[in-house]
Amino acid sequence: MPSIELNPETASTHTELSPHILLAFLQSQSQTALTRLYQRPSSCLSIFRLLRPLERQLILNLLWLESSIPMSTMSAWVTPEGRKPYNDSLSNLARLHVIPKSTTKLALNSTFRASLRQAITGGGTTGSFGVPVEPDPQYPPPDIATLDAYALERWEIILHYMVSSGTGQHPTKPSQEVLYLLQRSGLMTKMHGGVLQITSSGFQFLLHDPHAQLWELLLQFLYMAEERQMDMVEVLSFLLMLSTMELGREFSTENLSPTQSAMLADLCNYGLIWQHSASARWFSPSRLATTLTSSSPPLPTSRSTGRGSHDQGFIVLETNYRLYAYTDNPLQIAVLNLFVNLKSRFPNLVVGAITRESVKKALLNGITADQIISYLTTHAHPQMRKNKPLLPVTVQDQIRLWELERNRVKSQEGYLYTAFASQADYEYVLDYAKQLDVVLWENPAKRCFFGSLDGHANIRGFIERRTAEKA
Amino acid sequence: MDRSSHLSVVVDLSPTHWYLSSTRSQQNSRPLSLKSFLSQLLVFLNSHIACKDENTLAVFGVLPGRSVMLFSSLSEISGNPLDAADADTYRPFKVLDGTVMRTIAEHVENLGPSDLEKPVELVGALTKSLCYINRITATSSAQSAEQTASLDPRILILSVSPDQSSSYIPIMNSIFSAQKLRVTIDVCKVYGSESVFLQQAAHLTGGSYLHLERADALLQYLTMSFLPPPGIRQLLSVPTQDKVDFRAACFCHKRIVDIGFVCSVCLSIFCQPVPVCSTCRTKFPIKTLQRLNAARPPITIPAVAASPSVTSLPSSHTIRAGHINGSQPVAPNGLR
Repeated sequence: MPSIELNPETASTHTELSPHILLAFLQSQSQTALTRLYQRPSSCLSIFRLLRPLERQLILNLLWLESSIPMSTMSAWVTPEGRKPYNDSLSNLARLHVIPKSTTKLALNSTFRASLRQAITGGGTTGSFGVPVEPDPQYPPPDIATLDAYALERWEIILHYMVSSGTGQHPTKPSQEVLYLLQRSGLMTKMHGGVLQITSSGFQFLLHDPHAQLWELLLQFLYMAEERQMDMVEVLSFLLMLSTMELGREFSTENLSPTQSAMLADLCNYGLIWQHSASARWFSPSRLATTLTSSSPPLPTSRSTGRGSHDQGFIVLETNYRLYAYTDNPLQIAVLNLFVNLKSRFPNLVVGAITRESVKKALLNGITADQIISYLTTHAHPQMRKNKPLLPVTVQDQIRLWELERNRVKSQEGYLYTAFASQADYEYVLDYAKQLDVVLWENPAKRCFFGSLDGHANIRGFIERRTAEKA
Repeated sequence: MDRSSHLSVVVDLSPTHWYLSSTRSQQNSRPLSLKSFLSQLLVFLNSHIACKDENTLAVFGVLPGRSVMLFSSLSEISGNPLDAADADTYRPFKVLDGTVMRTIAEHVENLGPSDLEKPVELVGALTKSLCYINRITATSSAQSAEQTASLDPRILILSVSPDQSSSYIPIMNSIFSAQKLRVTIDVCKVYGSESVFLQQAAHLTGGSYLHLERADALLQYLTMSFLPPPGIRQLLSVPTQDKVDFRAACFCHKRIVDIGFVCSVCLSIFCQPVPVCSTCRTKFPIKTLQRLNAARPPITIPAVAASPSVTSLPSSHTIRAGHINGSQPVAPNGLR
């Protein structure tokens, strides 16, 4: 049996260290667009929070300096083990145009510096943190519990629709715009008869944590906004402004630009904001919106599992592959059903087992073993957290082995070279190909070998040259 | 690595020493007023909150004769009169700045003329902040073990008043508690001479001690040296002390001593040989006393006020007597 390398620690630190997906999007934007975005203090503060800790510290070190400092002054503080992260951070910040790329001097982008200073010291007249309004006595604003319930309901409608597509159930349909977004992002696709069906990336999406899911959808929303000729900077700065707003407060819609007002309906559909009617002059951001740039759970409590137990986890997994999930949330059950063979259901408990068939079904849907394991880890019951390692090793190994079973055949594109005139010819070309390290398979008896795609141009040129020499 | 962290700030608000700090004199060529100090401090506090939404903060004030909690990010004040709508400021910053300024003003106004004579309650504030950290780590450990480790609690002491040798024992005890709680103590000496006790506090808890040389660059000092959490300090180094004054204060007269006499039973420190240990009542043989008295250097121990020159002191752990070396008990071989 092959041994499988299990290294959850490095895996988790890697994901923590990988930059936020929004940053990759920002790096693809033009400098002028970014400079416009950096004009708003709230955008700068939110982007600042999405950066990695070392990048944040570098920015703060430079924030209060009026002039640029020589590169050597800053790098003198870097410890030997910090050398690589430091260089990574600098190139990252250069791509965001926060610290312009330079080999000699370090300074913050002046727009970014001015806005972040203003964000931290307060004041100014930009109004970029949202204009609060006094609640309208006629329509009392929702309290935090109502807002949470509302956001959760909206969000679970979307996820539940995705997970139960194609199973014959008919849950509540999300709005048309949401459906379009799901389709456009490739999470769902139109099958015969115009029925939406979840795709393999959709299955993977379901196993992510809500925070990542939300950003994935919002990123798609940004791409869509670009196609719809909406101003990306306006859209993004509105989203970033939402993330700095306070939960349980009402904000005026009057200071919003036309683009931003047009977004309100969409954001309502995702459950990011609450409006008592489409024409209301104020809105309340929900927890989904206010936690966009933090790592606290965006959905505080699940509808049914009781306060606190949602972010604590609910899954108990035993070494005999049996799984007990303390939940009656249809969404969570549906997600579990993707890779667990569910056997019985009780008012607050679902019992099932992880079997070869159930895991293979998930793998066929495009879910990977790592995703299953990370889902089980993040949603493990507090009781499970006493175990070390958290999940039984046998089960983890077996899930990975089942995945390997599927990956016995690996395909690679390439070219088959046959019909060599002589053994010498064959060996001559093969030697050359071996030098290039492009030979995938060879058979001297049949005088043929298989080379990879990128080596083809070279081999072909080589053979042609050789034939020309001979002729 | 990207974890939330907790910062407790202990601010020395001694009116006497702030007055001295804000007046220009020969020793004080760059005066720093309390007002300008507080505005730079608030920016520093905002920066800590800005780094991460989950970062927590507690601010303690040190006043003559009392210590008070000025702000805590746990106790969200609802219905605050400062709640006035403001579209230009991030609300947590507004609440933080407003609360800190208001509580400082309240407590300073309540100071009576008699209070000004009292020594500042640094120990009280330090103990309160340790209790606070203990409370938040204890509650989070009830939730999950992962969060406890993730807090990285730190204390930053911003000090302007000189050491009080009478508080040597409580400060050392606080340092040992901090070591047990794995709290890093950072010290910024904003005004005044070097503080022996606070140097030791920073050294023993792995923190950084900084004597502010340019008062106008306070914010830059604070940001670069005291803002990074321990994880970042491994990558981007912070200033550390090259020499630490390890002298202790004697238990009998609370004087800082160069050479002390340590009870071989309970490790109490005395500035002169005593026949009976005042702490554990151990009687020492008269012969030893005579030998010790004979071995004493002819010069008497300098008085506290005589400003011992720090530079002339040995900087390593091999100080002759009575010093505190880590958390290990002082070996009785300090007796001479």
